[in-house]
Amino acid sequence: MKNYDVIIVGAGSVGLPLAYRLAARGVSVGVIDELSSPGQGQNKAAIGGIRATHSDRAKIRIGIASLEFIRRLEPEFGQDVDYVEGGYLFPAYDEKIAEGLQSLLPYQKRHGLNIDWIGPEEVQEIVPGIRAEGLLGGTFSPEDGHLSSLKLAGAFYRLARQAGAEFHFETKVTGFDVANGRVTAVLTDKGSFGCGTVVNAAGGFGREVGQMIGADLPVYPDSHEAGVTEPIQPLFNPMLVDIAPDEHSDNYYFYQAKEGGIVFCITPRPKRMGTDRRSTSEFLPMVIPRMLSLYPRLRNIRVRRVWRGLYPMTPDGKPIVGFDRNVAGFFHAVGMCGQGLMLGPGLAEIVAAAIVDGEQPEEIFADLSPYRDFSGEELLK
Amino acid sequence: MRITQHPILEPKPGREVAFTFDGRTLVGREGEMVSSALFANGIRTFSRHRVGDAPQGIFCANGQCAQCTVLIDGLPMKSCITPLREGMEIKTLVHFPELPADDEPRQAHKPQELTCDVLVVGAGPSGITAAIELAEAGYSVILADDKDHLGGKLVLQTHKFFGSMADCYAGTRGTDIARILEQEARARKNITIMTDSVVAGVYADGKAGIYQPNEERYLLVSFRGVVVATGARERSLVFPGNDLPGVFGAGAFQTLVNRDLVRSSERVLIVGCGNVGLIAAYHALQAGINVVGLIDIAPRISGYRVHADKIKRMGVPIYLSHTLVSVQGEGKVEKATIAQVDEHWNPLLQTAKTFAVDTVLIAVGLSSVDEFYNAGVEAGFPVLKTGDANEIAEASSAMMGGRITGRQMARLLGSDLEIPQEWFEKAEILKSHPGQVFPRTHKWPAEEGWQPVIHCYQEIPCNPCTTVCPHNSIQLTGKTGTIMDLPEFSGKCIGCGMCVLICPGLAITLVRESHKDGLAELVLPYEFEHSFQPGDQVALRDVEGGDLGSGTVLSTRFSKKHRTHLLTIEVDAAIAARTAGILVQDPAVTEPLPEADLTYVPDNAIVCRCERVSVGEIKRFVQENEVTDLNQLKQIRAAMGACGGKTCLDLLPRVLMQAGVPKEAIRPATYRPLTVEIPMKALANQGGGKA
Repeated sequence: MKNYDVIIVGAGSVGLPLAYRLAARGVSVGVIDELSSPGQGQNKAAIGGIRATHSDRAKIRIGIASLEFIRRLEPEFGQDVDYVEGGYLFPAYDEKIAEGLQSLLPYQKRHGLNIDWIGPEEVQEIVPGIRAEGLLGGTFSPEDGHLSSLKLAGAFYRLARQAGAEFHFETKVTGFDVANGRVTAVLTDKGSFGCGTVVNAAGGFGREVGQMIGADLPVYPDSHEAGVTEPIQPLFNPMLVDIAPDEHSDNYYFYQAKEGGIVFCITPRPKRMGTDRRSTSEFLPMVIPRMLSLYPRLRNIRVRRVWRGLYPMTPDGKPIVGFDRNVAGFFHAVGMCGQGLMLGPGLAEIVAAAIVDGEQPEEIFADLSPYRDFSGEELLK
Repeated sequence: MRITQHPILEPKPGREVAFTFDGRTLVGREGEMVSSALFANGIRTFSRHRVGDAPQGIFCANGQCAQCTVLIDGLPMKSCITPLREGMEIKTLVHFPELPADDEPRQAHKPQELTCDVLVVGAGPSGITAAIELAEAGYSVILADDKDHLGGKLVLQTHKFFGSMADCYAGTRGTDIARILEQEARARKNITIMTDSVVAGVYADGKAGIYQPNEERYLLVSFRGVVVATGARERSLVFPGNDLPGVFGAGAFQTLVNRDLVRSSERVLIVGCGNVGLIAAYHALQAGINVVGLIDIAPRISGYRVHADKIKRMGVPIYLSHTLVSVQGEGKVEKATIAQVDEHWNPLLQTAKTFAVDTVLIAVGLSSVDEFYNAGVEAGFPVLKTGDANEIAEASSAMMGGRITGRQMARLLGSDLEIPQEWFEKAEILKSHPGQVFPRTHKWPAEEGWQPVIHCYQEIPCNPCTTVCPHNSIQLTGKTGTIMDLPEFSGKCIGCGMCVLICPGLAITLVRESHKDGLAELVLPYEFEHSFQPGDQVALRDVEGGDLGSGTVLSTRFSKKHRTHLLTIEVDAAIAARTAGILVQDPAVTEPLPEADLTYVPDNAIVCRCERVSVGEIKRFVQENEVTDLNQLKQIRAAMGACGGKTCLDLLPRVLMQAGVPKEAIRPATYRPLTVEIPMKALANQGGGKA
């Protein structure tokens, strides 16, 4: 039986950077994923936004850590992930939304975010052609950005393997061996792997993996559809997020990737619960008119491809991060609520420190505990 | 650069209109595809890629790839599916387009929703026949096709069809079959025909999205079942220079030449000796285009022997066990180098030959377009695929297959309509690969008067000669008891020439003794424009192109119905029965250059054309990252382009194997809609269509 210090279940947005972090610290790491290659679950469905702009202190801190690491990827590690520090811009055409966004600013600034309110002229300067009529301004956080989720997964996969992590693809976890209250092995359809620690980084299937050791994690995936257009000459840099709901949807957001295409996504209402990832006919007629109403100029751009990915949601919109109380050596890092891509790199450092050094800073591990009271709700989702 | 005289096709009418290309004023025909208008004006480079500023030429001419994209009135559009209008300002697309600063908000509209029992995607031979069967069974059908006409690729097929006359119009030209099928479809009230309508996605919620470019409209169709009759796409090849303008598919060539009557080329080399390549060579000759040769890496011809024989005797060499080493040229195809291969298919460079050509046609087979079928299976609604979308075969079998599929879908929807067993048997026979070859000795002279000589040696599914003989003197004889058997003449011949005129392989001649000693009269079919006069000398060829000296034209006549000439030629009696045709192409055009050109960089061949990802780049990435899942190649943008991997996904497994990945370890890439790019203004139905 192959043995590892740590086995990570899931080679996705959380598992890949964590595999690198742990392996770089000299830990022997095995990564198990039922799909054929890295990042083939929800990671590749992520549209690529990377922000620290949240309204929760733990997520802000993790987001800042993610961005710090992503900025180092190219200069220090030679990994080009198409990162563009274009910022996040939440435009407002409605007094109530403007007030809501502005009310978050003091908290966000207090926790270290570079974010401010900008006026309509500045919004139009940053996003040439955005609808001027009724524009009140918006919040802009210039240190957020976007990147290619495919390339980020590839980069962490390469780094993890270089650092010694081993990957087992097309391998389905079927259970765990627990002896004297401690996890000792991961059971799979390709045999067992002995281990000291398991990290549940199974994303949309984190609840199922938790259930294998009797943990009941409140992770319930819903799904969002996304799309990308043909590439065009550079037009605008930031991720635009319109949080004004309409009849059938809540927020939608889009940006222009470094490769030139506009990548877009929408939150349907009511939510589509479950793990179905097949494209539906509803998506394009739902999102395109909204994008054109915000940004009429996009009318002549051609949509190239659509897909659908899961948002493994928790009741309060915050990830579940921490050791299991009942099975020693079992760590949960799930329920990223559709933000695994942007939280994963920062979380990796924190989780690695928790596993290797036993460091569990309260502002992360209390706030994101699997055993917290889930009744709160984050304002900025 | 237009084909003004063609033995089979009528020159296209169409009002001449002016347009500009990169500022020059040019003239085209209103309504023709922009790509053809450009070709007709000698323009074969449409855009320059952002990678390496590489010139891009046409590739599929079928709206599937995006290689022919140009800027039309400021917007990037596929020129091969955009009709020309007066005053269009067309420009070379240089790298990425800039989005026009059109900032006026416009009203969006919900997509119109149509309902039917069965959506048939694709109105080629199988789609139309499936739709007809469904309509006959009482189901409402929407028959959608991305082209402006019905018939699919039948409209490119100027040759007479093989198959059986009773079941699939054998002996009739594809272009005429398309018209017949269209009439039959239009005669049925419960078939709604939607042309210029691209099915862009078949979604999990049981609806299909249809994009109508001319109307700038997007609509949704709800259905109970889907018949996928989307045909096939041409496979491609990886060789240095494969990205140069002038390398394109044989199907694309047929589109330009036979549909649009544009002389796309002066001299072509054809890669692939299946029926598509063989027929393309014939179509080229008919369009007045020189063919320097056909090559195939296999040691034998996979297409019908009658097709191969026909072009050989017209003067086109076929190089078997040969590969294309490279294509060379400055910004366009200028030369092509071929070489013989060893038993491992490696080129023997000492055998290399280089030809001066302006076009290299790729005819290395077809692959089924079945993404919608897979989407339907995944979604769990009744879905069937038919024709080439199901299995690559001749259009004759697609017609039979479509009928079967139509009834099968009816049964899935609850009908108890029977499907006659003989339909399945016929469909099987019609898609047969060529069978055994039998030697034949031609007895001559047998008796007084005319008699046919049948130069048909290989079992293929074909019977028209047996059905047209007024005296029933030609019968299929052989073991199979099907239309695969070879025809034999015995009995009376009145010299009517019907068998000569109907034979799709041009493999029947008539001979009789001349009143002059030692001479004979020979009647040959001839499908070219000609100006032969009695007394002219013609170069005689045996069935496979062997030189038999010359003969003297006695007379010519033309059958309007068959659009075929019959030449009566006086020949030496000793060779009369062996003479199967006459030389058409001057042998000098098939000579290679004095020296072979072996300047090429092997790893520069392009695999993903949209994103210009080279074979070298892919191999390096695969080896460095131990890639087995094609999805990983999206990191280097392979299969991420406009076409969605239609060409490269077929090539990538072979590239991975070359990089050392075992075949069984390779995993396919995930397919996602859309099949074509759709402008947001159409998806939002903002109006503004020009049709």
